[in-house]
This record gives sequence, structure tokens and C-alpha cells, in this order.
Amino acid sequence: MADPGQAGKGPLLDLRGLSVSYATGRGQLAALQAISLAIPRGGAMGLVGESGSGKSSVVLAILGLLGEGATVAADAARFDGEDLFANAASLRGRRIGVVFQDPSAALNPALTIGSQIAEPLVLHKGMSQSEADARTIALLAEVGLPRAETVARAYPHQLSGGMKQRAVIAGALACEPDLLLLDEPTTALDVTVEAQILDLLEGLRARRGLSLLLVSHNLGIVDRLCDDLTVLYAGRVVEQGAATTLLDIPAHPYTRGLMGALPRADKGRIGRLVPIPGGLPDLTKPDPGCNFRTRCAFVEPPCSAPQALVSPPGEEATGRLARCRRAGEELAWPVPPLPERTVRGEGETLLEANALSRSFALGGWLGRVSFAGGRPHLAPQAVVRAVDGVSLVVRKGEVLGLVGESGCGKTTLGRLVLRLIESDGGTLRFAGETVPQRPGAGFRRRAQIVFQNPDSSLNPRKTVAEIIRRPVTLFGIARGAAADEEVDRLLTLVRLSPAYRGRYPHQLSGGEKQRIGIARALASQPDFLVCDEAVSALDVSVQAAVLNLLDDLRDRLGVAYLFISHDIGVIAHVADRIAVMYRGGVVEEGPAAAILSPPYHPYTEALLSAVPLVGARGRAASRIRLAGDVSSPSGAGGCRFAHRCPRRIGPVCDEVAPPVIEPVPGHRIACHLPPETLAAMPPALGAA
Amino acid sequence: MSSIAAPGERGRSRALPSSLVWGGIVVGAIALLAIIGPWIAPYDPDAFSVRVRLQPPSAAHWFGTDEFGRDVFSRVLAGAHYSLGMGFGATALSLVLGIPLGLIAAFDRGWLSEAIMRAVDVLISVPPILLGLLVLAVTEPALWKTIVAVGLVYVPIMTRIVRAVGLGLLAEDFVQAARARGESAAWILAAEILPNAWPPIIVETALRITFAILLGSALSFLGLGAQPPASEWGLMIAESRPFIEQAPWIGLAPGLCLCVLLIAINLLGEGLRELLDPRLRGRG
Repeated sequence: MADPGQAGKGPLLDLRGLSVSYATGRGQLAALQAISLAIPRGGAMGLVGESGSGKSSVVLAILGLLGEGATVAADAARFDGEDLFANAASLRGRRIGVVFQDPSAALNPALTIGSQIAEPLVLHKGMSQSEADARTIALLAEVGLPRAETVARAYPHQLSGGMKQRAVIAGALACEPDLLLLDEPTTALDVTVEAQILDLLEGLRARRGLSLLLVSHNLGIVDRLCDDLTVLYAGRVVEQGAATTLLDIPAHPYTRGLMGALPRADKGRIGRLVPIPGGLPDLTKPDPGCNFRTRCAFVEPPCSAPQALVSPPGEEATGRLARCRRAGEELAWPVPPLPERTVRGEGETLLEANALSRSFALGGWLGRVSFAGGRPHLAPQAVVRAVDGVSLVVRKGEVLGLVGESGCGKTTLGRLVLRLIESDGGTLRFAGETVPQRPGAGFRRRAQIVFQNPDSSLNPRKTVAEIIRRPVTLFGIARGAAADEEVDRLLTLVRLSPAYRGRYPHQLSGGEKQRIGIARALASQPDFLVCDEAVSALDVSVQAAVLNLLDDLRDRLGVAYLFISHDIGVIAHVADRIAVMYRGGVVEEGPAAAILSPPYHPYTEALLSAVPLVGARGRAASRIRLAGDVSSPSGAGGCRFAHRCPRRIGPVCDEVAPPVIEPVPGHRIACHLPPETLAAMPPALGAA
Repeated sequence: MSSIAAPGERGRSRALPSSLVWGGIVVGAIALLAIIGPWIAPYDPDAFSVRVRLQPPSAAHWFGTDEFGRDVFSRVLAGAHYSLGMGFGATALSLVLGIPLGLIAAFDRGWLSEAIMRAVDVLISVPPILLGLLVLAVTEPALWKTIVAVGLVYVPIMTRIVRAVGLGLLAEDFVQAARARGESAAWILAAEILPNAWPPIIVETALRITFAILLGSALSFLGLGAQPPASEWGLMIAESRPFIEQAPWIGLAPGLCLCVLLIAINLLGEGLRELLDPRLRGRG
């Protein structure tokens, strides 16, 4: 963390030996154990680690917002030379701004955006109301909100998620802070909107000389914004140093593991991800030795001694630090063996959706009663076309990846192909037979679903055995003692011990719950699984294990997946073919490799170029940015992407439905652009 | 109901919630007294004894005597079963009708749900005491009628609560998983929804029992429930009113008993909820 330009002035934020502990029913929980970090003026520090590693405690400690149950101690905590903790109340909101994850929770729904930003200006800066209003509009314009005066008068619910987060950033900037704390600032946003926010933050940093502390679980966005990185693990700094070198060659086994566990869009299918086994240690009894050693593949007896955070041999000059006695050695995590693939997704068609559609009515009939024109009448029903004439095919043993941003209809489509909601147009065929709106047990047994949220996907009142046993007996796969054996077999299949039978969902970790969800879906021995964001709620290390598991199951059992995700890295890793959805329709579809490289549909191009990649800093020049977001209005009849398309040709895009181009057989793009133009696009994921 | 009995608990010893223990002891004691009351009562609750009119509490008459010289302690003992029967009977009726109606209203998205909920709206807009009065005023007053009246008054409230809880649970993914297996509506409601709906229903039930006892007593107080010379607690309070200055114990004794019973039932409900919720159980 050298800071040559500002030598002598000292870092803006300097935390040394910060410890935070919380009082819990089981004793003191050591959330942070003597962590140190320094952010130079104008510098940007990234703080990464899995959930529970203590990232948010750092942010709250800096702001002095830890609750009563927390004990904070530090050898030194200075902000611009001042004592941070003694002055926390006067620094926070003035010299230290903060942006949290969920913009909807950060804004008061009862006040206009403008009044919420102007309030601290009047309060802290002593401005008059009219000065504050003028400043507010200038701030809203600075964070890239069009028609800032209108936005200032709007209430939070009238803005989209991305606009809200911009407004929150404007509010954090109101008092001209020197340091901006960003706690997962884009996690709640779509990838194209995330890219806009990252551009904004990058620009603000350059223009205002802001210092940033970016807390994130996403290595890609940290790599894009930050100079330095601090990797936290279970309350301790395990590695610290310049972002580029740290991510290129991680020194600590944990960082190495994180990198190996990350599915990467630019690498495509890289065979196997490297999961990190186990989970976080019990922080009420901190391990004096290396606290990662129970999960580490390179553990040796001396690891039980306390490890110091020191420079690895030969890297003393770079200021790089790692808390591992083997740092600097060539430590390669063992890659799980690639299973034999018995089924390749080239067999016969299993599921075929033809022009499936589903609209949802907005509001009830009472809301439609209108008195316009003098007499009461029913206004026409407002509808959202969630899925609009989608045709797709899933072959036996094939993984069809479905990507798209929130609200594009991918979840609805997933439910439609399972007939969990009725379609209002189109047909569905499964294994050669038409599936009626209310399918029988045959279809139900063969087509199952795995959900995103492990907390809501399991009935909290049932034990693991009850949950898995139900489909086994319901579909007559086994009865009595044989059913119990089947439960054990399914648990083993998802790599859980049969000892889990008697547990309740709240006694399981997120990854374990997700495995139970998978076991339940597999219990009926299906041929087809809809995985609806099945790994999105999991930490990278756990996600890798679940992705590998799904991979194995496909290979061993020949199950076909419709794999729905907003994470292009995950889709690139698992999918044989990919379909890209936008506003209820599929705009591009084809083999995974064809989708991830040109020619692209302009939306795919924008989507891919918005993906934050690790170790791709030079990519900025070729980035495509979309204005606005999915909810922007558009005309009917034309291309559904025309309103945001950076490659829009003209009125034809708005008025005429685009033709389907097939650059190679099986790769279909719905676009008005000539195939040559599409083929000439630069690779959006960088030269991979 | 069997699915709330949690298997997998065997082998794990854990302390019962203290609110459950205390609430249970007091409610149990009152129930016991209501049953054995006739045998342990020192006097005949309805026997007049003009010589000992309006006596303050003493060793002979623990809670004193009323204007007819009846022993208040014996009367309170004899009246306990009215209040208990009123509370538990009326609430049981509201549960038996309200839970199925609420679950159906939550599950069905069509006219049936609409019909149930609009009927509930109508019933809920009538003040409960008025509704009770209506039922009782047109017929001869009797205790069982009071129970039915109070129970019916609480059906719409129970329906609404069950529906609200059910709607929330129906949106959960485990219900989607059940639908993906092709489970029937009855199975989803009985096996997936109901076990998760118990905690709020139980808390509400405890609250309803206390309200039912109060409403029943109020109806008796107004002369529409139990009839003299019955020693229903509300009726006793009503009858004690003219003597509130001279002999406050006549009203105080049944009043305090009501109070203790209501608090104990609330504690019991709170404790049951803690016991039945596996999420609360795993803590500590």
C-alpha cells in the first residue's frame, strides 16, 4: 500500500488493531480480531470475504454505528489525523459518506428524494433551504440522473433501483465527504445497471479525489474500482496488498481458493470449480492458530501456531502481506476430478415450448372503474406480458442456461414450463407428449424444480427426512423401510451424511439447505430440473460445491436442466446452450460458446460487457453501456430492446418485429442489423 | 395436528419456557378447582343466610359474603366452570370454523375467497357485543347460547388472521415445490401451511380466549348470559354493583379471579408458541 504521491501526509483513514466483539447468548463473538487497514488520500480499498467474515462490522465500526452489544477496541483509529471514534458523530455524514446495499431501505418512502438530500445540507452545512435545493439538483445531475429537477420532486417508489442507488450516492456526496464507504453498493442491482453505477463511482473518484472503501463479495467489481485489497476471513485479515498483484497471484490459500471457486464468464467452461470445504469457524472461541486451517488443503502441524501477517518471502518491497506460513509457495488447490460424461446434450428433444405466453393483470377490477367521461365504466385491464411467445427446446441431459435481468420473465418462464402457472398461449411438449395446463403425476414426477432462496424452499416444520421422503412415497418410488434407505441414498448423492435426517432446516447452513432442496427435487428421479437461481444466494466457495454437484448429477443421472440465472459467469460455466431473455422474449439463443463470442445480439453484447471480470482492467475501452433500465417505456410491435439499444438503426426497430438471423445453425439472433455488422462486433468479454 | 409434534427431538433435553410452566400451573389449578369445586366448597353457593349478610372476608368466609349472605368463595368456585367453558368453548368454535374458512380464502383466488372475505367484512363491521346481543335477544338466554354467540362473533376475526398467515406462507418456495409434485390443495393446506400457521394462531387463540371470557362475562353482566342465581363471574360483578361501597369484596373476588385467569391464559399461549416454533427452539 505504497502511496508515493502523498508521501508525508499520512493516510486518510488509518485503522490499526481494530477489534470488535458482540455479546451473544454463547459468549463474546469476536467479529473482528485486530484488523489493520489504511486508505491513502484518493485511494480505493476493497474489502472482500464471504458472508460472516466481518466486512460489515468494519463499515459500522468506522461510522461508529455499532450497537450497544458491541465492544470496539483499537490500537489506533485515525481519520485525517483526528481520533476516529471520538469524532465519529461529527465525521459521519459530513466527511465520511456511506452507501448501503439496498437503496430502497436507505431512502425514506414518505419523503421526496430532494428533501432527503437537502436535509443534511441544511443541518450540517447551515445552508438556506433554497441554496440546499439548488445544490441537491446539482448533485442529482452529477450522479447522472436525467431531469434532476423532476427526480428531486419524486418519491422513492417512483424511481427504479438504479436511479435510487444514484440518489443515495448523491445524498452521500452532499456534504463533500473525503471518504465514501460502499457496502455492497451494487449487489441489489442488475448487471447493466451495476456497470453504470461502477462507471459513476469511477468518475466521481477521479473528479473529486474521493477515497473509497468498497465492501463486496464480488471480486470482479473490487478489481475494477480498487487499488488495494484486504481479504478478510473470519474476522482476521488474511491477505492485503495491491489489487492487481493480489488477484494475479494470490498468496494466501483462502484467496487462492476464492479465485478457484469463481465461475468466470470470460473463461467459459473451465472443467471444475474448486470448492472450499467446510464453513466459517466458531467466532465465540477464536482459534489462536490459523483460523482457516480446518478448511485449508495445505495444512501442516505448525499451522496451529499463531500466524503473523507478514510479507511473503521476496515480496517485502511491494508492501504485500499474507497471514500464512506457506505464503509465496506454489499452492494449487486440488481440483476435483472431472466425472465421465455419459450423456451429452445432443440427444432427442425432452422439452419443447412453442410460443409460450403469459400475461399478468395489474390490479383488480375495482381499480379499473373509471369515471372519465361523466359516467362510470370499466377501463381496459392493464396487463404485463411477462412471457411473450417464447419457444425453446431442452434436449435430454442438456443444460439450457437462461440469462436476463430482473423482470425479464425468466422466473415466469421457468414456472410455465413446469406448468406451475398456467400459460395463456402456446403449447408445451414433454417427451413427445403435449402437457396439459393441469398435468398428471407422470409429468410432475419427471419435471422438478430447485429454488433460489434456501430459507424459503424448505418447510421449516419438517425434518430433512420428511422433506425428502414425501416425493419418494408420493410417486411410489419406495415405501416403508425402502423409502428410508432411498432418503439416505439421496442424502449421500448430494454429499450429505445420513446423520442429517433428523435435522430441521434452521439447523442447516445455506449450502446444506440448497443440497436438501436438490435432493428433494431428485427424489422423484426426474429427467428435467428447473434450477431457478439455484446458486445465487450462496457464497462463492459454497456455490462452487453446489455447481460441481449439479454438474455431476447431470453427468451421472443424465438430468436436463433449465438453468436460470442473472449471473453470466455461472451460466457460462454450466450451460451447454444459452438463451438470452429481454422483456419477456428470447432475443438470442445458441450454443454457449457462440453466445459468449461475436456475433451477438446488441443486448447480449451489452450484458456481457457489463459483467465485471477479475483481471480485465484494460477492458474499459470496449465497454458498451446501456442507458436507463428495463422499465423504460417502449413502443409495441418492434424489437423489444429498441428503446435501449446502442446500435439502433431507426424507426424500423420500433415498428417491425426483427427477423431471426442464424449465423451458424442453432445460433439464432433476433435483430434488424445485417449479419455482417453483428459479426464485426468486438468480443465483449475481452480477448479470451 | 400431528405434524406439530416434532420428531427428532428425542434425545435432546431442553427446558420448557417458563411462561408455559407458570401459565399452565395457574390455568390447570383454576380448571381443577372448577371441577372439584362442588366437593371442596365450604358452603352451598346458592344457600341464603340472612344472618351473615355482607360480611367482610374472615376465617369462616374467606372472600366474605354477599347481600343474601351467600359465601362468595363458594360462589366463585362454582362460577369458574362458566368462565372456562365460555372462553374455551367459544374459542374452539371460532377455530373450528375460522381455520378452514381462512385457509380456503387464502388458497382460492376466485369467487369463493371473495365471498368468504366479503362476508367476513360484513360481520366484522358489526360491534361484537351487538352481534352477541342480537343472537341472545331473540331467544331465551342460556349459557350455551352465549358460547355460540361469542364463538360466532370471533369466527371472522380468526378467518382473517388465518388467511393473512396462509397468504404469506403460500408465497413460500416450499409450497411451489409441493405444487411441482402435484400435491392436492388439501394436502398443501394441511401438511405444508397449517403446521407453520400454528404459532400465530395459538397466540391469537390465547388472546381470543381471554376476550371470549370477558365478552361472555359482559353479556352475563348485561343479563343476556347466565341467569341468576348462577354464580357466573360477570353476573356476580353485575350483582355486586349496588354494594360496591359497602362490600367491595363481592365484586372484587370474581374480578380478581378473572384477571388471574386471563393473565395465565396469555402466558400459556406465549409459552406454547415458543415451544412449537422450531426456530425459537434452536436458540441458546
